[in-house]
Amino acid sequence: MKRAMIAVITMLMALLFGTAYAQDAASQASSPEGTTRSITIPSVRIELKEGEGRVKTETYCNICHSVDYITMQPKFPRSQWTATVNKMIKTYGAPIPPEDAGTIISYLSALYGTGN
Amino acid sequence: MSDYHVSRRFFLKTVGAFTVLSIAGEFPAELLAAVDERMLVKYPEKTDMILLTSRPPQLETPIHYFRELITPNEALYVRWHNANIPTSVDTEQWRLKVWGNTEKEMQLSLNDLKAKFEKITYTAVSQCSGNGRSFFEPRVIGGQWKNGAMGNTTWSGVRLKDILNSAGLKQGSVEVSFNGLDMPALPSVPDFVKSLPIDKALEDDIMVAYEMNGRPLLMLNGFPVRLIVPGWYATYWVKALSEITVITKQFNEFWMNPAYRIPDTPCGCVEPGSKPNKTIPINRMTTRSLIIDPPAGAKLRPGSSVTVSGIAFSGGYAIKDVIVSADNGKTWNKAELGKDIGKYSWIQWSYTWKPLKPGNYTLMAKATNSVGESQPFEGLWNPSGYLWNKVEPVDVKVQ
Repeated sequence: MKRAMIAVITMLMALLFGTAYAQDAASQASSPEGTTRSITIPSVRIELKEGEGRVKTETYCNICHSVDYITMQPKFPRSQWTATVNKMIKTYGAPIPPEDAGTIISYLSALYGTGN
Repeated sequence: MSDYHVSRRFFLKTVGAFTVLSIAGEFPAELLAAVDERMLVKYPEKTDMILLTSRPPQLETPIHYFRELITPNEALYVRWHNANIPTSVDTEQWRLKVWGNTEKEMQLSLNDLKAKFEKITYTAVSQCSGNGRSFFEPRVIGGQWKNGAMGNTTWSGVRLKDILNSAGLKQGSVEVSFNGLDMPALPSVPDFVKSLPIDKALEDDIMVAYEMNGRPLLMLNGFPVRLIVPGWYATYWVKALSEITVITKQFNEFWMNPAYRIPDTPCGCVEPGSKPNKTIPINRMTTRSLIIDPPAGAKLRPGSSVTVSGIAFSGGYAIKDVIVSADNGKTWNKAELGKDIGKYSWIQWSYTWKPLKPGNYTLMAKATNSVGESQPFEGLWNPSGYLWNKVEPVDVKVQ
């Protein structure tokens, strides 16, 4: 079930990004006279630290943002990571089921937290 | 699309040892970078920039670019909020929609903007609301910027006021909202839309800019046009602007409330770690100065003159003076101010210092603007990490 969820999200991401890049290609093709300005954003892969919950954390967080959003933060207590994950779910609508939210909070608190 | 892995293709610029230098302007860029071991990345149209985040991109300017009065386009910082940023714009197809509580709805092309409205130009500092957030104590979550989420750019474009008057404001107009081409990754994520009160929107200096430093905007800095609200934090400077809407009530969507708000107190601050009772939208920039040279950790020679230099700016008022201390704030001297190119620009300053005895020295600079606004010696705190303008100590060694 959880694997299926991750697979669905991976597909969703592919769909979102795939669409964006397809649009790029289309607009370039339709504008031979050179009125289109385009750039290609490099795809930067940031890896999180090894630990229980890493894959879920990378998969869910990457839906909306790269995980350097995590790695740039100073070490925060569990209360801050809990508030942040809850904000992603409640404010931004991140499709993270409660049991996975717990896993992610524990992972962030352990690997990117103060340990309390 | 290119695809690469951080550990292999990105690099750190570090130097093993500080060089002894005492002549103004000859501190190598590497020395400034040496105290800042963050990753440098190369994004399209940009120079090597400090990576905060890659998607959406948040790229910080290496501080040695602030030796220049005007920040080169390729070095201006980048900050997007939502993942689907515009990477391709056909200016034949692109239109700026102006509508809402107006006599008519307009769909302006880039050529319309250039042909139908008077062109204006001024130099203005753009600065992220969270510039300096990483210096907050206690630390706060958010983009962990140091001092490089700012830059000084000569913008050209047209007055927002002229566009609004051309559309014709109807009675009861309260605010104007601004939307860009960027889109969130999920429909549940709020689109990045900002607003200004109608009186602010009608001020002479609010610009819809289509040039930065005499060139078209860079894609990552908001091509084809962006809003310029000089003197105010750049959260309002909506990039890739595509829609201007005149509205009859206060705009209260996510990026105005609860995001980008400061405590409703005279300092915009609260007791560190506490929550404000009431908040207001962030607005004018606080007064700041920054020592660029000598960089922290520099080793200087006793008896040799060194030029302490940097920049200063405030939220729309001229800088009246900058004072410099070489003894951790005990005594102060006036710095010499560089050319004043307008109240929205930063000004360069310099002070010649001749340390006589070997030892550790702490340099400080403090700016005051024409209405008396200055900088605190202790960092003012708020929960979002905004308005940073502390007098920052720079430690150097004379040996």
